[in-house]
Amino acid sequence: MKVIRSMVLVSVDQASLERGAEEVFHTFLDEIDEFGLSDQIAVATIRDVGFRDDIPLVIVYPDAAVYGPVKPEDVHTIVEEHLHKGNIVPHLLAMMHELAPEIAWMRSRKGALPVQKRIVLERAGIVDPESLEDYVLYDGFQALGKALTQLTPAEVIAEVEKSGLQGRGGAGFPTGRKWSFVASTPGNPKYVICNADESEPGTFKDRLILEGDPFSIVEAMTIAGYAIGAHEGYIYIRGEYPLAYRRIENALRQAEAHGLLGDHIFGTDYSFYIHPHAGAGAYICGEETALIESLEGKRGIPRARPPYPTTYGLFGKPTVVNNVETLANVPPILRNGAAWYRDVGLPKSTGTKVYTILGCVNFTGLIEVPMGITLREVIDIYGKGMKDGKKLKLVQTGGSSGTIVPASLQDTPMDFDSFRNAGVSLGSGALLVCGEDTCVVDLAKVILRFFRNECCGKCTPCRIGTLRLYEIMSQISEGKASLSDLEVMQKISEAMSEVSNCGLGQTASTALRDILKYFREEVEAHITDHVCPVGVCPIAGHSPELILVQQPLHAG
Amino acid sequence: MISLTINGQTLEVPENTTVLKAAEQAGIVIPTLCNHKDLTPYGGCRLCSVDIQGLRLPATACTMLVAPGMVVRTESPALTRYRRTILELLLVGFYDAGYTHSNGTTGPALDTQFAYWVNYYGIDMKSAMTKEPFRRIDSDPNPFIWVDKNKCIMCTRCVRACAEVQGRFVWTQAYRGYDLRIVAGAATTMLQARCESCGACVAHCPTGALDNKMSVRLGPPSRVVTTTCSYCGVGCQLDLNLKDDAPGGRVLRVTSNAKAPINGDHLCVKGRYGYDFIQSPKRLKQPRVRKYLLDGTVRPHNRGPWVEVDWDTALDIAARGLRAARDQYGPGSIGLLTSSKCLNEENYLMNKLARQLLGTNNIDCCDHVHHASVVEGLDTALGLNGQSNSLDDVASEAKSMLIIGSNTSEQHPVFGVKIRQAVLRRGCKIVVAHPDFINMSEYAALRLVHRPDTEAALVNGLTRLILKNGWEDRAFIEKHTVGFEDFKRSVDEFTPERVAALTGVDEKTLQQAAEILAANRPMAVVWGVDLATHPAGGCNVMSLVNLQLLLGNFGAPGGGLISLRTQNNSQGACDMGGHPNFYPGYQSVESGAARKKFEAAWGKGLPAKPGLTATQMMAAAAEGKLRALFILGEDLLAGDSASPQVRRSLQNCDFVVAMEVFDSETSRNADVLLPGVTFAEKTGTFTNTERRIQMVHQAISPQGGSRPDWQIIVELARRIQRNGSNGEYSAWVYGDTSQIMAEAAALTPIYAGVSHERLERVNGLQWPVKNFSHPGTPILSAEYFTGGRGRFTPVEYHRAEAASSNS
Repeated sequence: MKVIRSMVLVSVDQASLERGAEEVFHTFLDEIDEFGLSDQIAVATIRDVGFRDDIPLVIVYPDAAVYGPVKPEDVHTIVEEHLHKGNIVPHLLAMMHELAPEIAWMRSRKGALPVQKRIVLERAGIVDPESLEDYVLYDGFQALGKALTQLTPAEVIAEVEKSGLQGRGGAGFPTGRKWSFVASTPGNPKYVICNADESEPGTFKDRLILEGDPFSIVEAMTIAGYAIGAHEGYIYIRGEYPLAYRRIENALRQAEAHGLLGDHIFGTDYSFYIHPHAGAGAYICGEETALIESLEGKRGIPRARPPYPTTYGLFGKPTVVNNVETLANVPPILRNGAAWYRDVGLPKSTGTKVYTILGCVNFTGLIEVPMGITLREVIDIYGKGMKDGKKLKLVQTGGSSGTIVPASLQDTPMDFDSFRNAGVSLGSGALLVCGEDTCVVDLAKVILRFFRNECCGKCTPCRIGTLRLYEIMSQISEGKASLSDLEVMQKISEAMSEVSNCGLGQTASTALRDILKYFREEVEAHITDHVCPVGVCPIAGHSPELILVQQPLHAG
Repeated sequence: MISLTINGQTLEVPENTTVLKAAEQAGIVIPTLCNHKDLTPYGGCRLCSVDIQGLRLPATACTMLVAPGMVVRTESPALTRYRRTILELLLVGFYDAGYTHSNGTTGPALDTQFAYWVNYYGIDMKSAMTKEPFRRIDSDPNPFIWVDKNKCIMCTRCVRACAEVQGRFVWTQAYRGYDLRIVAGAATTMLQARCESCGACVAHCPTGALDNKMSVRLGPPSRVVTTTCSYCGVGCQLDLNLKDDAPGGRVLRVTSNAKAPINGDHLCVKGRYGYDFIQSPKRLKQPRVRKYLLDGTVRPHNRGPWVEVDWDTALDIAARGLRAARDQYGPGSIGLLTSSKCLNEENYLMNKLARQLLGTNNIDCCDHVHHASVVEGLDTALGLNGQSNSLDDVASEAKSMLIIGSNTSEQHPVFGVKIRQAVLRRGCKIVVAHPDFINMSEYAALRLVHRPDTEAALVNGLTRLILKNGWEDRAFIEKHTVGFEDFKRSVDEFTPERVAALTGVDEKTLQQAAEILAANRPMAVVWGVDLATHPAGGCNVMSLVNLQLLLGNFGAPGGGLISLRTQNNSQGACDMGGHPNFYPGYQSVESGAARKKFEAAWGKGLPAKPGLTATQMMAAAAEGKLRALFILGEDLLAGDSASPQVRRSLQNCDFVVAMEVFDSETSRNADVLLPGVTFAEKTGTFTNTERRIQMVHQAISPQGGSRPDWQIIVELARRIQRNGSNGEYSAWVYGDTSQIMAEAAALTPIYAGVSHERLERVNGLQWPVKNFSHPGTPILSAEYFTGGRGRFTPVEYHRAEAASSNS
C-alpha cells in the first residue's frame, strides 16, 4: 500500500494557467520523480485561490506551506529543500495579505514564519471560534476539568505561580502571586475581571484571542475564579471590538448550555458566572481601577491607589484583574504543567509573548514567540526586513506609552528584566518599527495628541500637561518654538511622570523623553534651524497636518 | 494606634488616618487644594504629593492611609518643583478679572485658598494666568450663585459638596481630559438641575469660580461677626461679613463658619442669601403714631393717617394708652403678643412687662398653636417642654426615623440635609408620612401617603401593629411609664382595615412601616409644622409620644421625639414666659410656689389665673372685651391664623401698639408703630429647636432711627412703672442684654447656668443648664419625665373640625 506523506497542490485556475501553472505542475512531477519521492508524495491540482498576484500557488501538505508565485525554475528548490530535506523555503512563500481567507489560515498556521511557538494563539485561525465542539476537539476545557476534579484551589494557584507567568497587559506582575493574594484576602464575594479593553495603539493581540479563540478566555476565567474563590466574573471588552463581543457572548451561551459555565460546572459544587460588558471608547478604561469604576456604572476614572483591586476592587471587594493574553496562558499551563511552560522563554520571563509588528517592515501582524528574542530578530526574521530596504531608525516598544529604542539597542533581549535594565519597556508587546523616513518630532506629536485625547482629566499634571506637551510639540513641528520650550517640556514631563494619578500620566511623556535623549539634534533642528530633516513636518513646506487645537467652548 | 514618622517626627495616630490628617496632628502643613475636611478625599490636584520611603513614586497624602513604621517626608526640592509646576499648569487655563483691592490695584482675588498657594510658591498670579477669559463669566442665570469657569481648577469640591453635604447631586463632570468641565445636571442651568441654592458649592470652592452673585465684586470684609441665623428653628451659625465704609457698617455677604456647632460650613439659601432685608430701604426708620392720638380726638374708623414723631412722643403715647386700658378696663383687657423671632431677652421683658407692670397673664406668641400641641403632647404626657434629643445625635445615630407632618427640606433645610446624609451615608431608613410628595420622600425607604389630618389614626394603627407583633419594649414600659393597659385597649379599634379606610394607607404598607420602625432602633420620630400647627396637633403629638414610649426610644442618641420648632426662637419665646400659662421655664402661673417666687422677685402681686391665648385674645378683641394689644414682631395677618376674623378683631381693638421692622398688614391696623431692629443690630440669644441657647451678636448699627426692641420695651416699661417696688428684680434698669439674661437665669431653673459670658466661651448650651458648671443637657431621658414616668394617653381620632385640644 502506498503511504503518502506529503501532498503538493498546484493551482490551475484560468489565471494560474496563464502564468505557467501547467509547466509548474509537470516540473513537479519530474523533479519528484528525480528525487525518487514519487511513492511518498502526490501532486494534485486545485482551482479558485485568492488574488491573482501570487499565483500560481503551490500548497504543500501537511506542512500547509503556501508558495507563490511559483515559477518553473523554483520547483527544483522546493523539491530539494522542502520535500526532500524537510526545510521550508522562506523566500518563496506567498505574501500573507495576498491570499483568500481559506488559504490564508493555512498560511498563518504554519510554514510562514519559522520558530513561532503558538501557545496562546494555538487555535486562533484554526478552529471555528463559534463552535464549542471545535474548541473541545482541540483540548478545550481539559484544564478546567482537571482543576475542578483533581486540584484544590491552592494547587491551581501553586501551579500558576510555579510557571512564572507574568501579566501580559504591560505591568508584568506575577499572576500566581496576584491570585494567591486575593485568595487569602478576607472579603466576600470576590471577583475575576478580564481586561479586554485593549486600547494601546498598535496592539491587537487580545483581539485575535477574543475573536479567534473566545472559549479559552471563558475557561481561563473560570479557572481563576475557582482558584481565588470567586463565583462571578466580568469581561470588559472595548466597544470598538463588536465581533469579539459577539463571539464572547456566543461562547458564554454555549458553555453555559453545556454545563461548562454557570451552575455546578462539570457536575461539581463549583459555580461561576461571567458577565460581558462593552466599553465605550476610553483608553483610560484599560487602567484597572478605571475599568472597575466603569463596571460599577460610574465615570471611568482611576481611583486613588492604594488600596489596590486585590484588596478593594469591584464593589469594594477583593478582585483579580488579568489581561486577555495572561489568562489565555492559564489553560495550557494547567494542561501541560508548569515545568513545560518554564521550558519556554527565559528563567525570569517564562513562556511566550505575542508581539504586534507594525511600521516600516515587510510583514506586519501578530507573532507569538518565546520570551527573550531580540528586536533585530523580530525585524529581520518575522518582519522580513525593513520595507524597501530603509534603514532602521528606532522602534517604539509597548505602544504609545512605551519607550523608544534606538537602532543601537536592537540587540537587547525582549523580556521583562533585560528590557527594564536597559530602561526599555516591554509593555503590551506592540513594536512600532520606524525607518529613516520617520521624523521624531512628528512621531512625538502624534503620540502626545493621543494622550491629550485620552487623558481622563482627574489630575492636574496629566490633564493640563498632556495638552501643553502636545501644543508645544505642534509648535516645534511648525518651526514656531524656542529652545526654552524644551526646558518647559522637561519640567512638565517630570511632574507628570512623578505625581500623576495613574499610568497614563506617568507614561504619556516617556516617548518624548526618550526622543529628547536619543534624537535631540533632530528636534533642535526644527527649533533653531527651522528645518525638518526628514521633510515631514509643516515647516518643510508640506501642507500642514490637521492641527487639533483646543477651541474654547461656549456656554461655559 | 499606628506609629509613623513624618519629617523626622514620630507620632501615633488611630488606624484609617490619612497621612495628611496625621501631619495636621503633628502641626505639619502640606499644601492642598482638592482636599476638604467635610468631603471624601479626591487625589486630583496632586499638590499634597509626599515622599514615602519604599515607594517608587510620591503618593498623595490626602488619600494615603498610614501604615505602621511608615516614613514620610513632606518637603524636598523635587516636591517643591512638582508643586510649583502643578500651580503653573493650573494657571495656564485660569483667568481672574478680579476687582479693585483696598490698595487701589485691580487684580485677581488674593484671599482664596488657590491664591494663597500660588503666592506661597512665589508665582505672580496676574502674569502667570491667561490673558483673556475663555469661558463666559457669570455663566449661569440663577439668582444666587455666580459661576465663572475661567477660575475652575477641576478640584471637584463643588461636585462632592453637592453630593455629600447637600445630597442633591447638582454638579457633575462632563467630557474628559482638558475638555473636562463641571456642569450642572446634564449640562443644563443649575435651577434646571434642581439646585436648591444652598451655596455649599460656593462655600467649598477654593478659587472663587463659584461665588455669591449678590456680593461677588465687593471684595473682602473689614470685619466679620459670627452670629445665629434668624430664619428657622435649626439655629445655624453664620458669619456676617461687614464693611465699615458706611456709618454703622454695612453687610457685604453671609459666609458659613466651619466652627458652627450644628451646621459647620453649611447653610441654606435663606441663611446664606436672605440677608438683604437687613438694610432694605423699606425698613421702618422712625416711630409713628396715628394723627388722632396727637390731636386728642376720637379714633376714626380706619384709624386715620400716620404721623412720624420722635421717640419720646411715641413712647409716651404708647405707655399712656396701655396704662389707660389697664386702669379703665382692668388688666384682663390688655393682650401682649411676643415674638418667636426676637431675642430671649426681649421675650423675657415682654413677659415681665405683661405680668409685673400690666398685671395680666394675657401673653402669648404667634407660634402658639404649634406650641400648644407641644404642651399638650410633650408636657402633659411626659413633662418635657422641648424635643428630647439633639439634631446631631438623631442624624448620626438613628437607625430609622418616622418623619411625619414635616416638609423638613423646606422648613428646616439644614436638618433635612443631615437626614439626607444619614440615608445616603449610613443607610438610615426613613419612613416619610405626608399627604404630598415632598423632597424628603425621595430619600424614603417607605412612604406613608395618608389623607390630610389623619395622622393620629395612622400612628394609632402603627402602635397597634407593634403591640400585635410583640415588638414593644416591655422593660421600658414596666419601668418608665403609666397608663399602658388603658392605652393598649384604646388602639384595638385601629385595625389595619380601619386605618386603611380612614387614612388611605393600605395594610401591607402599614405593616412594612411598623416593621421598619420597630426593627431599626434607636428610632427617632420627627415632626414639624404640618402636624403640630393644627387643631388636633395635641392629639397627634400624643399619639407619637405613645409610639416612642411603646418602643422605648428614650435616653439614647438617635431616638426620642423631635419636635421641629418653626422659627429661630419659637422655643426660646415659650421658654422665656411668652405663654399665658407659664412664667419663664414652664413654671405654672397657677403654682403657688412659682407665683410667690416671681412676686418676690418683681415686688408685685401677680395674677393667679392663666391668661388668654392668642386665639382667645382675637376672639375677645372681636367682642370688644380686649381693649389694647401690644404686638412684638409678629404679623397676625400673614401667618397661620390669617383669617377675616383676625382682621376684624384687630380693627375692633381700641389701641394697638406694634413693634416691627417692616410695614405689615398688622402694622396697618396699629395705632402706634415703633421701629425695632433685625438680628444683625442687637446682641442677645436665641434658643433653637433642640433647646440650644446660642449668642446673637450685633454687627451693624440700628438702621435709621430704629432701636433695639429690648430698649424700646424698657423705655415703655419705665413710663408705665410709676413707682419702684422692692423686689430684687423689680427695676427696669439694664445696661445691656446680658443683664437681662442674668435676671432671667436667676429666676428660671432650666436656664440657671446660662450667661452671655459663659455662652461666649462654650458657644451654646442646651437646657436644662442646672448651674454654671453644668454642661447642659443634649438628651432628655426618661429620668426627666414627670415622676420619672411617661404617660400613655389614649388618643381618639376625630376629623379636623371636632378638635380636641383646648387652644
